Amino acid sequence: MPNASSATRPSGPTPARVLRIGGLLALAAVVLLFPSLAPDPFILSVGVVILSYAVLATSWNLVGGFTGYISLGHAAYSGLGGYATALLILRSGLNPWLALLVGALIVALIAIPVGIASLRVRGASFVIVSIALVLILQLTFQSWHTFTGGSGGLRVPRPFGPDVLRPEQHERFFYLHAVLLALALLTWWLIERSRLGAGLKAIREDEDKAQALGVPTFAYKLIALVTSAFFTALGGGLYALWFGYLDPIFQFSILVGTYMVLMSLLGGVRSLFGPLLGAVVVGYAVEVFKSQYGDTQFHLVATGILLGLVVLFMPDGVIPAITSFLNRRRRAASIREVTAEELARQREEAAR
Amino acid sequence: MSTTGSVTTEGLTKSFGGVRAVDGASVAFHDGEINALIGPNGSGKTTFFNCVTGMIRPDAGTVAYAGRDVTGLAPHRIARSGIGRSFQLCRVFPRLTVLENVLVAVQPHGLLQRLRGMRNPDDVARARELLARVGIDHLEHAEARDISYGQQKLLELAGVLMGDPHTIMLDEPAGGVNPALVDRIADLVRELNAEGRTFIIVEHNMELVMGLSDHVVVFDRGRPIAQGTPAVVQDDPQVLEAYLGV
Repeated sequence: MPNASSATRPSGPTPARVLRIGGLLALAAVVLLFPSLAPDPFILSVGVVILSYAVLATSWNLVGGFTGYISLGHAAYSGLGGYATALLILRSGLNPWLALLVGALIVALIAIPVGIASLRVRGASFVIVSIALVLILQLTFQSWHTFTGGSGGLRVPRPFGPDVLRPEQHERFFYLHAVLLALALLTWWLIERSRLGAGLKAIREDEDKAQALGVPTFAYKLIALVTSAFFTALGGGLYALWFGYLDPIFQFSILVGTYMVLMSLLGGVRSLFGPLLGAVVVGYAVEVFKSQYGDTQFHLVATGILLGLVVLFMPDGVIPAITSFLNRRRRAASIREVTAEELARQREEAAR
Repeated sequence: MSTTGSVTTEGLTKSFGGVRAVDGASVAFHDGEINALIGPNGSGKTTFFNCVTGMIRPDAGTVAYAGRDVTGLAPHRIARSGIGRSFQLCRVFPRLTVLENVLVAVQPHGLLQRLRGMRNPDDVARARELLARVGIDHLEHAEARDISYGQQKLLELAGVLMGDPHTIMLDEPAGGVNPALVDRIADLVRELNAEGRTFIIVEHNMELVMGLSDHVVVFDRGRPIAQGTPAVVQDDPQVLEAYLGV
């Protein structure tokens, strides 16, 4: 049988591979050059916000994209990461960077019992459990004045000295977020190509079937959730160190978790760079809406409309939509060709 | 392939609401043979399958495999103990490629082993071998949702074989496929059986069952009412009654 499909993925430097490496280098160049190209500190700070969204969305995708378990409550982990970092600095006098790491590890530990409880249920039930967690945390952190600062908020000490001015702060945090984003992307990429990743994607497609093939589904889901919570907490903690202030209303907000979902869905949950692309588009849009319509809730309406449009017209996200558009002709041709062959062969056999 | 062994159940029972889908079923399948499990619709065959493979926890009774009690074990543990299964109406991972569908079944012990790349050359070579064996190796890069139903059935079998099970349970392997493919599946089952694999097959196609199997178990209302060679079972009055309702 002629192997028609091998033509679609030859080894060695192919145009697709060159394009991919070129794209990766271009992306790295844009990120590295952005701070020097940004016309003013405000634009630079928008850059930090977008990178922070990209970190959170990519981290969310470690569980959402792989397992298909849609958590709307991932703000629980980013919020806890922020508070853990701040409280470790304030109450234990830890070095800020060490506090960030220890905080994220604590959040990862907290994610274990949460996962054991919530990953037993699928579909809508899991979504609701994830939302409930955020609401519980919001109430707890608002009420527990003596420990968390309550609804009055919590000031996070700056990791850099007072001699580091605001634009300089933005630039440093921009690069720190870029490093964290690179680590999250690398982790996603490593899992994606592993046996663990194969099992996780199988869970997303058909959990019972995956289990029947020997995939320990529960353990895998838990690994994905804990890894995701760890990176989400790092993202929340780093943002807290930059922003310098925590308020339970914003830290444990359903909206933050919704943004992570929207960004990932928009870019494409099956693609490594999907959440990053979604973060750039949605993050930019949110900042524009906020600056244009300031105090109104218009950005919420816009977010809702965007989410609806994505789910209706691009359920796989932008990146897969573009890729499949580019591949459609070639790929369809190769499959059709083989099917025709098969048919001819089957007819031959039947005639015999 | 794992150690030899056969599936044996004692008093297996599972109710849904007031209905006893499986009702005290004690069955011993023959090791190394092609076993068939037949019975009218709703006689509890699929529920029995699901109890044996751990997809459903039985209310009472035991399942033993290769002399070991496996009752209530998680499905992935039962799979690892050497029982592979297909699903009624065929289930594949629609958005994974044909090759990935087969590679999913490579789940060795140890976290470090699982963090290794899934496209390990040895695994890929073996997966391709299996795809060639069932005759769909030319489709390895296609997504499973893009291939035909018959090809999906073959893909499902290749995925089951990747786990190298000693015992293979097939739920209606001939359901909804054309006669040419039924013959091909039957040939594959015979070949694999000749290599020493045990089969337990739920099937409605009587011609296939009688031509293929060494041992037939007939279910009615959640329990076996007859068993034996195809010839013996065919003439059993209880079987005729269950099927024809006389």
